[in-house]
Amino acid sequence: MEDAQIVNGLVRRCVAGDAVAWEEIVQRYHRRVFNLCYRFAGTSNDAQDLTQEVFIKMYRTLSSYDVERGAFMTWLTTMTRNLLVDHFRKTKQDRVTDSIDAAPSEHEDAMPLSDQIEDKGAPPDARVQSRETRELVHEGLQKLSPELREAVILRDLQDMDYRDIAAVLKVPEGTVKSRINRGRAELARLLQRTYKQVM
Amino acid sequence: MPGETNNGMQCNEFEAVQFDALDQKLAGGKLERFRAHARACAKCGPMFAEVEAGQHWLKTLTEVEPPANLVNDILAATSGIDSYRLQAARPVIYKPSLGERIREWADSLLTPVWVTVRQPRFAMSFGMAFFSLSVALSVAGVKPSDIKQADLSRSGLRRTYYTTSARVVKYYENIRLVYEIESRVQELKKATTPAEPGPKELKERDKNHKNNTSGDPEPRQERNYSRDENQPVLASAPEDPPAVSVTTNRRFV
Repeated sequence: MEDAQIVNGLVRRCVAGDAVAWEEIVQRYHRRVFNLCYRFAGTSNDAQDLTQEVFIKMYRTLSSYDVERGAFMTWLTTMTRNLLVDHFRKTKQDRVTDSIDAAPSEHEDAMPLSDQIEDKGAPPDARVQSRETRELVHEGLQKLSPELREAVILRDLQDMDYRDIAAVLKVPEGTVKSRINRGRAELARLLQRTYKQVM
Repeated sequence: MPGETNNGMQCNEFEAVQFDALDQKLAGGKLERFRAHARACAKCGPMFAEVEAGQHWLKTLTEVEPPANLVNDILAATSGIDSYRLQAARPVIYKPSLGERIREWADSLLTPVWVTVRQPRFAMSFGMAFFSLSVALSVAGVKPSDIKQADLSRSGLRRTYYTTSARVVKYYENIRLVYEIESRVQELKKATTPAEPGPKELKERDKNHKNNTSGDPEPRQERNYSRDENQPVLASAPEDPPAVSVTTNRRFV
């Protein structure tokens, strides 16, 4: 039995009131949703709260899921992404506004983000696989605009194909590719600048 | 001409296929032409290098482990039930009932006392106490077999109270009757006794008393000292009581 069929069966059982099926869905997808929230929100606490919100919303609207309209994963990711964007807008006032938030669509003309990132004092011999490097990359990811961030997260961290990303973000596939390109390049410039500073 | 190199690939074509190159889907001659354009083009080469580096950085991010309680929190917030798997894996914690908890509490209190009581030096004391109690109960007419659950009910207690009250009243009335009869008898007895002796007889008696050198005690005189004016007279006196003169024999020394 294919994975999609298994998931569709679980959804049908869950809508019928099967608590075991709902637990199976939670077990199957909570890790993925949590990682998506963590990479987008930046902190584990926010990611935990957002993951719970995603599943609460999913529990309430699971009956509205239509198998014919798309894969369950795409439906779930769309729901997660919408909730993350809502969360981003709600907490925008709380965060320190930087140039990325002010002009998210003008990255090419804006001052390079690497000029704005602070020196975190990473050790000179930090390797790519080291923990400090991962933290730097994670922090750099938070500096990207939400549009670029979500695109690169869905592509490079969630391994979604361009078509599904386009369906989730509700933009053309070409725009998705453009955002991914810009996001990767922006992140690279940011991190290269950081490493030059510490070295 | 900008945007075109001598290897035949233009910049817009380069941008179009760079995703295939990054996803390792480009091969053969097309891959060679792509690489050649990246090396030669001053615009596309650095841009592709940055994109490739950014992808490389992003690939270093590994999947993070969600908190251990996340699934439970989600299930509690949604279906309101605990995880079936965790329930199966969780050891069953025995929860004692209320009776068992009371018994444990009583045991914790009584055990030290019981250990002390079981010492031989207290055995004789407790034996005597039990014997005294049983004797007292048997004398009082109380038999443990007579005590029934019905006697401890509200109606049973009320009935016992009224029965006991009636018994006390009856006892009091009987005592009163006895005293009345006794009082009458005494009055009759006093009425039939001779009159008091005169002064001469008294002097003669005193003289006899002074001359009594035998050492024998004087005859005892009965007097009622407890009776005063305020004491109620229980016995009813007749309408025309007989004239009785009460005199006291005083010893004039």
